[in-house]
Amino acid sequence: MPQRPLSPHLSVYKFKYTLATSILNRAAGLVLSLGLPALVYWLMAVASGTSAYTRASALLSLGVFKLLYLGQLAAFCYHLVAGVRHLIWDTGRGLERAQAQRSAWVVAGVSIVLMVLLGYWAFLAGARLS
Amino acid sequence: MAGFRLPPNSRIRKGLTHRATPGAGEVRAVRIYRFDPTSGQNPRLDTFELDVKGCGPMVLDALIHIKAAVDSSLTFRRSCREGICGSCAMNINGVNRLACTTAMQDLSGAIRIYPLPHMSVVKDLVPDLTDFYAQYASVKPWLQARTPAPPDRERLQSKEEQERIDRPAACILCACCSTACPSYWWNSDRFLGPAALLAAYRWIVDSRDEATGERLDELQDPFRLYRCHTIMNCTDACPKDLNPAKAIAEIKKLLVERQC
Repeated sequence: MPQRPLSPHLSVYKFKYTLATSILNRAAGLVLSLGLPALVYWLMAVASGTSAYTRASALLSLGVFKLLYLGQLAAFCYHLVAGVRHLIWDTGRGLERAQAQRSAWVVAGVSIVLMVLLGYWAFLAGARLS
Repeated sequence: MAGFRLPPNSRIRKGLTHRATPGAGEVRAVRIYRFDPTSGQNPRLDTFELDVKGCGPMVLDALIHIKAAVDSSLTFRRSCREGICGSCAMNINGVNRLACTTAMQDLSGAIRIYPLPHMSVVKDLVPDLTDFYAQYASVKPWLQARTPAPPDRERLQSKEEQERIDRPAACILCACCSTACPSYWWNSDRFLGPAALLAAYRWIVDSRDEATGERLDELQDPFRLYRCHTIMNCTDACPKDLNPAKAIAEIKKLLVERQC
């Protein structure tokens, strides 16, 4: 008997709010862990004294890194808010279909607001302070 | 393991087109996944131009019409035609549902029908449900009690106790939820899937069942239960409006609570 085929899955399943929020959360988590080396480098420089810190500060202030921070900031905001949604789910609340649909939009909205606020603070207000 | 691409023997070829008869009223394209195990060829996607006025309103009516009038080799499961047997579960326009309770007028564009996702296909729209049923059997979906039943009457429940199992007990095992779950797609050999876990929950919270501890022991496993990442595709897909995602969350809660 010939081998049975596997029915199509990702290629045919409708990309609904369920899949969108889940895959975004995973992607955000991945982005955050990719940004960790930069954070670890900065922390090590802080611990190693003035000259190392000055060198690290100069390097990490480069434009390329600003782009990285923007990505980190967006990923952090989404991951945080989506994580809170998961925490609420873990208490057994908000798991009805209509509630989950609504909370998906709430997560999107709140994380965008948070991104804008944190982004303003980090890139505009903060830059003026220094 | 997660394999995002279909294996070479599963990639879909271009299929045949069955034109509508001239003079047909309202014509709608119905694209159907076809696999003939005797052909030795890959699956294909056939297009049937269907005269909607010539058949009943549901997707199942269209399938029955096509089988009767156009291509008798079209193979699919169906039985009750009223959403209680769960036989005609399939992927219709990207979502798992029952063909018998899905009205064609509620679907936009061409109607696209595939077998339940990420399953081994026996023929056309018929997936192999052997593992799915084995997973259901593995949660021991029957009453387990050591104390004998009262000699003069049934094991009684209060209204509240019955209400706890009322919804989960309405599952028809159509497999729409499990085959909508990406965790189940990637780990169906070790993750029990929403349908089996909903059944497990139904017996865990049954006030007459006395094997609650053993049932929870069986589920305390990184794969059987905890591959659920609350994606919610199961609850979103359920044609009976049941809530496997909530049942799984409640099982996780019970497992934590019993450690306190």
